[in-house]
Amino acid sequence: MIVFPTDLQQAAASDGTIRAGGTDLMERRHALAGGELVDLRDVEDARAIEVLPGGGVRIGALVTIAAVAADDAVRAGYPGFAQAAGGLATPQIRAVGTIGGNLLQRTRCWYFRSPEAQCLKKGGSTCYARAGDHLWHACFDLSPCAAVHASTLGMALLAYDAGVEVVGAPIATVNELLGDGGDPMRDNQLPPHAVLRTIVLPPPTRGERSAYMRAISRARAEWPLVEVLARIGVQGDTIAWAKLAVGGVANVPLRLTELEAALVGVPAQPEALIAKASLASEGASPLPMTGYKLPLLEAAVADALERALASEPVGGA
Amino acid sequence: MTGSTTRRGFLRGGVGAAIVTGACRPGVHGEVAPESTAPQPTPRERVGVEAAINGEARTLEVEPDTTALEAVRGLGLTGSKHGCGHGACGACTMLLDDQPVVSCLLPATALHRRKLRTIEDLGRAALHPVQRAFAAEDALQCGYCTPGFVVEATAFHDRWRAEHGTEEPAADTVAAALAGHLCRCGAYASIVRAVQAACSGKYDGTGPLRPPRIEAIEKVTGAAVYTVDVRVPGMLHAKALHAPWAHARLRRVDWSKALALPGVRGVIDLMPPTKLVRFAGQEILAIAAVDEATAVRALGLVELDADVLPPLLTIEESLAPGAARIYPNGDRGKPSNATEGPLLPERWHGNRRGPFDLFSKRADKAQRAIEEARSVGTVAQGSFRTQVQCHTPLEPHAAVAAWDGPHRLTVYLSTQAVQAMGEDIAQRFGLRHEDVRIIAQHVGGGFGGKATLTSEATIAIELARICGAPVRYALDRRAEIMIGGNRPGAAIDVAVATDRAGEMVGMSAKATSTAGVAVGTITSIMFRIIYPEAPRDLRDEDVVTHAPPGKPMRGPGGPPAFFALESTIDELAYARGEDPLVVRKRWDPNPARKPLYAWAQALPAWRDRGAAGDDKGRYRRGVGVAAGAWFAFVEPRSRVQLETTPEGLVASCSTQDIGNGSRTTIASTIAARFGLRADEVFVRIGDSRYVHGPMAGGSRSTSSLVGTCDDACTQLQDDLVELASRRWKLRGAKPVAEGVRHDKGVIPWRDVLRVAPPMLVVGRRHRDKGGYFLPPLAGIAPEDYVASSLQVAQVEVDTRLGRVRVVETWLGVGVGRIVSPVLARSQAEGGVIQGIGYALYEERRLDPRAGFLLTAGLEDYRIPGIGDIGPIHVHFDEHGYERVPGHNVGLGELVTLTPAAAIANAVYHATKWRPRELPLRPDRVLEGLRA
Repeated sequence: MIVFPTDLQQAAASDGTIRAGGTDLMERRHALAGGELVDLRDVEDARAIEVLPGGGVRIGALVTIAAVAADDAVRAGYPGFAQAAGGLATPQIRAVGTIGGNLLQRTRCWYFRSPEAQCLKKGGSTCYARAGDHLWHACFDLSPCAAVHASTLGMALLAYDAGVEVVGAPIATVNELLGDGGDPMRDNQLPPHAVLRTIVLPPPTRGERSAYMRAISRARAEWPLVEVLARIGVQGDTIAWAKLAVGGVANVPLRLTELEAALVGVPAQPEALIAKASLASEGASPLPMTGYKLPLLEAAVADALERALASEPVGGA
Repeated sequence: MTGSTTRRGFLRGGVGAAIVTGACRPGVHGEVAPESTAPQPTPRERVGVEAAINGEARTLEVEPDTTALEAVRGLGLTGSKHGCGHGACGACTMLLDDQPVVSCLLPATALHRRKLRTIEDLGRAALHPVQRAFAAEDALQCGYCTPGFVVEATAFHDRWRAEHGTEEPAADTVAAALAGHLCRCGAYASIVRAVQAACSGKYDGTGPLRPPRIEAIEKVTGAAVYTVDVRVPGMLHAKALHAPWAHARLRRVDWSKALALPGVRGVIDLMPPTKLVRFAGQEILAIAAVDEATAVRALGLVELDADVLPPLLTIEESLAPGAARIYPNGDRGKPSNATEGPLLPERWHGNRRGPFDLFSKRADKAQRAIEEARSVGTVAQGSFRTQVQCHTPLEPHAAVAAWDGPHRLTVYLSTQAVQAMGEDIAQRFGLRHEDVRIIAQHVGGGFGGKATLTSEATIAIELARICGAPVRYALDRRAEIMIGGNRPGAAIDVAVATDRAGEMVGMSAKATSTAGVAVGTITSIMFRIIYPEAPRDLRDEDVVTHAPPGKPMRGPGGPPAFFALESTIDELAYARGEDPLVVRKRWDPNPARKPLYAWAQALPAWRDRGAAGDDKGRYRRGVGVAAGAWFAFVEPRSRVQLETTPEGLVASCSTQDIGNGSRTTIASTIAARFGLRADEVFVRIGDSRYVHGPMAGGSRSTSSLVGTCDDACTQLQDDLVELASRRWKLRGAKPVAEGVRHDKGVIPWRDVLRVAPPMLVVGRRHRDKGGYFLPPLAGIAPEDYVASSLQVAQVEVDTRLGRVRVVETWLGVGVGRIVSPVLARSQAEGGVIQGIGYALYEERRLDPRAGFLLTAGLEDYRIPGIGDIGPIHVHFDEHGYERVPGHNVGLGELVTLTPAAAIANAVYHATKWRPRELPLRPDRVLEGLRA
């Protein structure tokens, strides 16, 4: 069965897997499952980016990633977020994939994607990666599932303390939507009959600087080994505040709150920021094959901080 | 495959393991659905979609999970290709409301009330400037990825021109726009050039276009028909069930429910009599049904019962004491052949086969020299490891088989070996050679993986036979990476000893390689065909594992061997405090490489480099060099038929063009002899009905075709002189380059051809002057030359993120006279690019416990993208090879031997860390730099 609801209330009331752009779902349905579909093709709401009266931006869940990356308000207020949107996947995927789909996609773990492995996320009893090949997997071991979360935008939005509007469930923030990674079955906390409607970016802090950074082996079009969204506020010669989120390291994107705290009061100089970046791997618990992700994470955080510091402040200095 | 060397040619010694085991011969166990219970499939849910496709309003009935690609190709618009099915390669790119999208991930339902344009629409009225640029700049090889690139590039071009006029975009801007496309042949450099040129307005005109590659227009418009595009009436679709276990004994297979599924027509058993599964991915059975979806559903209804046994997945596991023997009867267990040559019998020790030491030379003396040198510190040595690399051509293995009665067979086949496949299929199915027709008009890459008779052909043929209808079978990307072929992984210990004066006094190389369930890995000969005649102790061993069989891959044995050898030579040079290029130049006796050293020494990047480790910043640049050597092969039976027709000269033979440019080689060679343009010679290839043409493998096409075409031209010109003499009553007529010379002048060939009646000659490949290095064996002869290359690579190492980036490449190639400079350059660039993939990214990974494939798509199996290559400069030295008719040998394999070594040596120069294991992933680089 496939249904084409015309609004998100109807979609939430329908039974089946929700399909927006389909860039994640189509391949999984071919490889792993079939079942009923709720296709959002004919839904008209949740397709706009609005600047909110008090500052801040509301992005409909069905807005494409390309549109997010190209949006003037997003680029002006949230340059790091815009970079993240413009740097993920490929131009063709960004043209179709939606911001909602990016947040709610399933992990790219090669066991999850393999028809041969009935892993935890597919209702099985074991994580194949943990005892198998987890070269590209977690280095913060938060869950019985060793996969890393796939959402670049989820990671980035975490650094912005973004809110969400969900039809059919009391989930108010991206943080709540993504959860703490404890449940190996899930990549997000959206219950059945709930649909993501919008993402709300709070107003940026005047003068904040931000940057997105991903560590990959090729130049482009590759899932990150680790990725970082760094936001910093500079007052005088020192860092007044910092917000850092990282991906590619755990079952869920993480905020580096200890590092955020440690950066406050540090001289706004690249060397000083880089020196602090080693705190990024504090609390990490790498698997046998993912130890390399710790220095890589520290390096990527250092890079992101350095780039953020060198970037144009939002709304002028 | 012992005992088969007289019948089967080089590159034809083995077939995919599932087939070797004995299935699919006539008399195979199979079953067809009875007529009465073989109705059409029960109607599935359909959704109506109204879309404007290429300007035409269409109403489609699609299933909820049908992709836009499937729907559009179902309309007969087969220009858009299925490459990976994961949105990674972009071969399926279409314009949805003018926006490029990957149609393999786009639900067909999303087309509703939208405007869709495909490659077929772009060149309909007149070619788009981007299409003209791709053709003129030769931005393609096999052409399979080309429609996707062209669609994307036209959108970029139109947008760019609207915003920037005719300003030329930077190379990196183009790369960013095309980041969602992969080209396995590696035509990236000319793709960037083409897009830049189109944006600058260079191809705005509508004048005549004379592309250097003669079939380019077909490829840039999506008109070129590949095997996967072939549709014949009544065609069924096959799917195979791949074993999920690496090692198992099958107790029971029950396909009754599958066969009862409406729409299923037949099933064949592919298991060997032993019922043993030896690798994950081995084909258990194949099913033919009225459509692919039904065949897939049917596979899900097959019941399997097996004793799953512990697999041996690595060299170490297979060699562990007490490890079970994968082939208890050794060669009699018929392991498939991973090498290009025939398999020689070898002794087995458990799962170890060999050592093969035929290429050693005074091994004892070599060992003594190394011992002595070790005691005085004049030896360089190291242990090197290389990964398994997959061919993964963008067109997967595919076949469409159609029987015309019980004894006549036509097979459309994506193959590198039309002629040989015709012979092999005839032999296998007990048919007369002339009753088997193989057709391969366009082939979407091969790289060695499509040179043997493998399961895609035998499955289609056998199912077509039992079902009484044509059958199509194509691997999906997962199966292609799993069983389509791979370059074996190797562990190589190398030592090179010198005396105090720096002369080489001994060399040893011991290689332990694994081609999974296949055998015949040979690297040792590479250590013999380069550098002075010092004593050598060279040994190869196969270790069999429960992994998919390796196949010959572009320069089999070469890239791992040259990585190990050229890294060791580099180390030795640095240890001696000598310039690595100077050491090589001093040692190298090869006349074809001599001029390349002078060329490399003059390169500013080489000349002006600092000392190793000089660069101290975060980003460290280094320059490395590596030399390469490859064999010159010819297929002496090659023929080319040349005819005069009212339309012009027609040349034909049963060779094929897999992107290697054989069509153009034939056309250019003949055109040059008659003073014509290449596009005035019509070339018909890719059909076994034509005279014997060479396989595209073993770098033999150029060497086999050029002299043969020349011979045909000479014969035809002799006949034309006679004709002209009679017709115009000439005196003293004789052939000269421009035409028929006679007492009163010269009549150009063009004018003679104009009056020629139908004439026909068949050119032959005359022997090289002085004969071959060895007499022809199994249809191929090694020539008395070694082809030579020299590569300089500049890299940048990001010491913080562990990333190695190739900044610039210079490749010197000595293969004699270049027939088509543009195509030769493209092939050389492609070899470098595949080598960059081998050095930095590509790596097949299996689950270490169960042995199933993990890198099952082009996201996880990472081939280089358009932004990963840097400028590549190719320098041809055209001297030498005078004894070969045509004065040239092939270059396809030579050009991919050195990149890993040159890049690794450049990394050493940048960082003073010596890489010894490929690929150079960030985790390895970070670890290496920390040490």
